[in-house]
Amino acid sequence: MSDSPKIFTLKQVVSSIRKTIEERYHQTYWVKAEMHKLNRFPSGHCFPELLQKEDGKIVAQISGSIWKHNFERINQRFISVVKEPLKEDTTLLMLVKISYHELYGLSLQILDIDPSYALGELQKERQETLKRLQKEGLLDKNQKIDFPLLPKRIAVISAASSKGLSDFQQVIEDNQWGYKFFTMLFPAYLQGDQAATTIVAQLKQIERVQDHFDAVVIVRGGGGEVGLSCYNNYDLCKEIAKFRLPVLTGIGHSTNMTVAEMVAFRNAITPTELGDFFIQAFHSFAVPVSDAWKNIIIHSRSLLAEANFSFNKKSAELKNGVIRSVKENNHRLYRSSQGLLTTVKSSLQQSDQALRRTEHKLESSSTALLREYTHIISTIEKQFPGLTKNTLTNNQIKLNQLMQSLKLLDPQNVLKRGFSITTLNGKTIGDTNQPISGDKITTRTATFTIESDVKSITKIEKT
Amino acid sequence: MGEELNYTKAFDELQQIVADIEDGEISVDELSEKVKRASELITVCKSKLTSTEEDVNQILKELEKDE
Repeated sequence: MSDSPKIFTLKQVVSSIRKTIEERYHQTYWVKAEMHKLNRFPSGHCFPELLQKEDGKIVAQISGSIWKHNFERINQRFISVVKEPLKEDTTLLMLVKISYHELYGLSLQILDIDPSYALGELQKERQETLKRLQKEGLLDKNQKIDFPLLPKRIAVISAASSKGLSDFQQVIEDNQWGYKFFTMLFPAYLQGDQAATTIVAQLKQIERVQDHFDAVVIVRGGGGEVGLSCYNNYDLCKEIAKFRLPVLTGIGHSTNMTVAEMVAFRNAITPTELGDFFIQAFHSFAVPVSDAWKNIIIHSRSLLAEANFSFNKKSAELKNGVIRSVKENNHRLYRSSQGLLTTVKSSLQQSDQALRRTEHKLESSSTALLREYTHIISTIEKQFPGLTKNTLTNNQIKLNQLMQSLKLLDPQNVLKRGFSITTLNGKTIGDTNQPISGDKITTRTATFTIESDVKSITKIEKT
Repeated sequence: MGEELNYTKAFDELQQIVADIEDGEISVDELSEKVKRASELITVCKSKLTSTEEDVNQILKELEKDE
């Protein structure tokens, strides 16, 4: 053994490492690891970063490699089984061979990836999202919203190029009833890694202008059934469930319903079916409105006819009643008048008899009275003969004397005795009718009437 | 939302009138007035089906406001 150490070339070293590793790890292994980055190169080969985390910390890390032909085969199977392409940041079960290359170093050469395991992982995410939402009481929160009577203003989350969008628009815009909807597109990715975040972002936008909308729809279609696992994303599903407007989905697929569809207010299999649902909601409003008039007319007519019928019936009843009542009263009146007549006759007869009796009584009593008075008078005459005759003669004498006196007082007789009456202005002269010189006075005697002018006046003082 | 309530109310009121007339709860005296009211409500509801008042530009303006 020489003192000088043995010197290897680098190639000798890496060749030795390679030989050792190949001998030690000559078989293949199933390894569970998270594929952090896929790192697909233009050549078609991929060099993913593989790692394992514990409590969020990376505890193991190694590079991987998938040759182009392996990648294409694996991806095809994923799409057909998992309905998702190979995705970054997912835990995968891979068949690997540990390889060492003189130039590229140590890596895990990925020969295959188990799609069932990936599917299981996705279903696990779906289950976890469901469980969390259930625990938070959000599963049916959106479904409890009162759906607007007329959902005419729709915020549409879709992609401008999506066939699902055009299907939906066609149904609601070209409807034959003339229903008018207002739609506004909020564009988002509808599948793959970015879908959940962009849809959530658009929901937040809509929330800011939610007063302008009645409902939100998420429509997608025409893209096959790949890449829908984003609709199991917890953040997206929570946002839908909590949304204050009803969120309706029409993302078009036939396999397992995603959580987003489960928590949505309503899920339609296709955007077309979703559009039909809106048309149907309009029908539910429009049909009763147009039927209202028909029903009102029909029932108003029957109401009026009924009223008319019962009025006619009542008036006929009234007429009959009146006739009956008049007849009855007539009878009663006749009976009453007959009764009255009898009563009056008998009453008259009675009165007549009473009158006759009274008359008779009066006659006899007055005759008796007359006889009595005659008797009294004759008695008086017998007792005082001439009494009445003397009184009469005396009174005659007194009366003649009075007439004599009256004759003496007659003005004509006074004038005859030489007196005259002088008047001024037709009235006798006195204190109240004093003459002044120049007045004309009239003097009346028994035989003349003399007009004279007053020359002088001398008032005679009373003694 | 004000107008929202209007057509919802109009619809509910219309349904009530129709139900009342169907059930014979309305007297002949009230009938004419109710029928007139129903015709007004039908006009409100029908116009709601075929018109739209929202404006995309207005909504965009509101979205830009706080960004």
